[in-house]
Amino acid sequence: MSEMSLEHAAAHAEHHNVPSPQTISNAKLAMWLYLASEVVIFATLIAVYLIFRSNYPEEVKTVHRELGLVLVSINTFVLLTSSWAMVMGLREAQKNNSQGLVRWIGLTALLGAAFVGLQGVEYTELAHAGISIGTEFGMRFYAPTAFHGAHVIVGVLWALRVAARGRKGYFNAQNFLGVEIFGLYWHFVDVVWLFLFTIIYLI
Amino acid sequence: MASITAPMGGETRSIPAPSPRIADYLRWSIDHKIIGVQYIVTSLFFFVIGGALAMLIRWELLTPTLDLATNGSQYNSLFTLHGTVMIFLWVIPMMAGFGNYLVPLMLGAKDMAFPWLNAFAFWLIPPAGILLLLGWFIGPPEAGWTSYPPLSTLYSPDGQTLWAMALHLLGISSILGAINFIVTIRNMRPEGMGYWQMPLFVWAVLATAIIQVLATPFLTGALTLLILDRVAGTSFFDPSNGGDVLLWQNVFWFYSHPAVYIMILPGFGMVSEVLATHARKPIFGYRAIALSSMAIALVGFTVWAHHMFTALQPELRIPFMITSMIIAVPTGIKIFSWLGTLWGGKIHFTTAMLFALGFLSMFVIGGISGVMLASVPVDIHVHDTYFVVSHFHFVLFGGSVFLIYSGLYHWFPKITGRLLDERLGKLHFVLTYVSFFFTFFPQHIAGLEGMPRRIAVYDPMYTNINQLISFSAFVLGITTFILLYNLVHSLVAGERVGANPWRSLTLEWATTSPPPPYNFVGDPVPFEDPYGYGTEEATAYLDALDRRFPPPTKLPPTAAVPHPEPAGD
Repeated sequence: MSEMSLEHAAAHAEHHNVPSPQTISNAKLAMWLYLASEVVIFATLIAVYLIFRSNYPEEVKTVHRELGLVLVSINTFVLLTSSWAMVMGLREAQKNNSQGLVRWIGLTALLGAAFVGLQGVEYTELAHAGISIGTEFGMRFYAPTAFHGAHVIVGVLWALRVAARGRKGYFNAQNFLGVEIFGLYWHFVDVVWLFLFTIIYLI
Repeated sequence: MASITAPMGGETRSIPAPSPRIADYLRWSIDHKIIGVQYIVTSLFFFVIGGALAMLIRWELLTPTLDLATNGSQYNSLFTLHGTVMIFLWVIPMMAGFGNYLVPLMLGAKDMAFPWLNAFAFWLIPPAGILLLLGWFIGPPEAGWTSYPPLSTLYSPDGQTLWAMALHLLGISSILGAINFIVTIRNMRPEGMGYWQMPLFVWAVLATAIIQVLATPFLTGALTLLILDRVAGTSFFDPSNGGDVLLWQNVFWFYSHPAVYIMILPGFGMVSEVLATHARKPIFGYRAIALSSMAIALVGFTVWAHHMFTALQPELRIPFMITSMIIAVPTGIKIFSWLGTLWGGKIHFTTAMLFALGFLSMFVIGGISGVMLASVPVDIHVHDTYFVVSHFHFVLFGGSVFLIYSGLYHWFPKITGRLLDERLGKLHFVLTYVSFFFTFFPQHIAGLEGMPRRIAVYDPMYTNINQLISFSAFVLGITTFILLYNLVHSLVAGERVGANPWRSLTLEWATTSPPPPYNFVGDPVPFEDPYGYGTEEATAYLDALDRRFPPPTKLPPTAAVPHPEPAGD
């Protein structure tokens, strides 16, 4: 037993050297874990708002009258549309159509940028109405929405990079992981917005 | 016979002797082994700084009056920086260093899943350390490592902002590192190593990484709000402006209680390796140890408010008392499993083993005082006294630091190809063990007698006990230099050893010491049971390993430092 030769070990190793089956790629798993930690940060910021919301419902209602729902509803629609464009882009990549991919991801970036722009418009209006970051409502409003806005900006830059790589023919029906990973992030940003929209503007 | 008797498949050509140069460790590298050493050396540097701060604290406390500090604020800065440095720049990065070095090796992998991300996570640490220490010059943070508002918002100078930024960077580093560990452990195990064949250190790192991914973002969120309060004119934590001080305490402890397990769980993993290897016995209760790590990770999220018994609504005390006591159960399972491992083993009293045994005895004391603190009536009595200080030093120094020492003696030969000097090691152990006990055990008594923590001027009735504590602390401080000398001395003059000086069955030993750049030539085959000591198969496997990587012949016998021969597998 103890004189077992290395040849035997080599033969034995043959069937051991098959790479482990992976049901989820490294990059995708890492992205999911990253998003899990992002959920926690947003949850903290949202909780800060919710505590205030339940303690001072009257104050929040006053601000709601100030805010109005038209602009933010348009903005929500813009962001949802961008997620749709994202899905279409991924579909084009899977269909081996680089041009279509670039077009749809470009649209995603454009809609994301429009969202940030409209958020800027809304911030300016709110500042005119006297809701600054120093006010009790203001700080709890700006912290989560601006943090989300920063995520949209990062997403827009990322979309532009995906589009640029797509232009060079980097993605195709066999290799679209890069688009998928970006998609995970982009849909996450979208879903977070749906929470923020519901919790801050609607209820 | 289906058992595995030799470590390597395919390749039989000899491995070129690796020769990493010092310059490789000073620059960006994506080799997990270099990154691991970078973590270890960086955190040792901060250990010395944090230790120096501790010495200053003990110097100040030699007499009941102000000696060293000219005012209380200076003393506040001392213990604030001491705590922050020791936790965030010593224990946590040190554990990350062991994880980085060992996890890919134990999995038989060539590197981590994301080598670049790994390097990035490390390189966030030096700037964070610099930011934190720069605070010393622009008005050091004074609010303690917990930085409760309003101390940290209204009363602490600008260094507090740098403190928050530094912790932000360290938090991001920690999250990125943890994501990397989880992906590596899930996706890069070799064929033949299911979750239940993983070394327990890998289990512990997995549990730690899960905590880091889910708890550290709470710190990130809280720090963001704290920075906004300090620089952007918000008042999240200022009740006079619609804020809430308890918000910080809740969110902070929702991170920082799980964080105490970030500081100890990898050590629990290390001690499982050390005990089984140096007692030449299969680990007792493998699954119990693995699962109890997960249980600790889970229950760790439900106990945070026991840090706030005196601040919280009284009706929440009992539930948190219950969860805090429940979390002692998985820890107890581990302790008894380790004792079961030792029972009937062939114990080799190497320095690694001595520190592991020292950990068992000291950590139990910290665990018992932990259960005492979890019970509300005791906690209210000793709240904010030296009893608390004693408790967390027993679990952090008697726990984490003893385990780090044990790990250094155990894995130094793998990292460098040379043994740490065992005679110096034993001196290090004895002095550390004794001076540690006399530094921290009397603090229980001081605390029960009512001495508050975080004060520079105390009632003269505590003078004697504080002098005992301070003198022991100075000895404890000096012991660190025995280790540092040993590390440097053994690096150049330590006894050369082969691949597997301790005859261990885990995969990190199935390659040269130090391992070549891609760890293994060919694909290593894990032994079916990482702790299957004492069987014929294990002996055959270890002998084959020695033939594959012959230990250096001790030509000048006088040069060889005697160390216990672990015979009989």
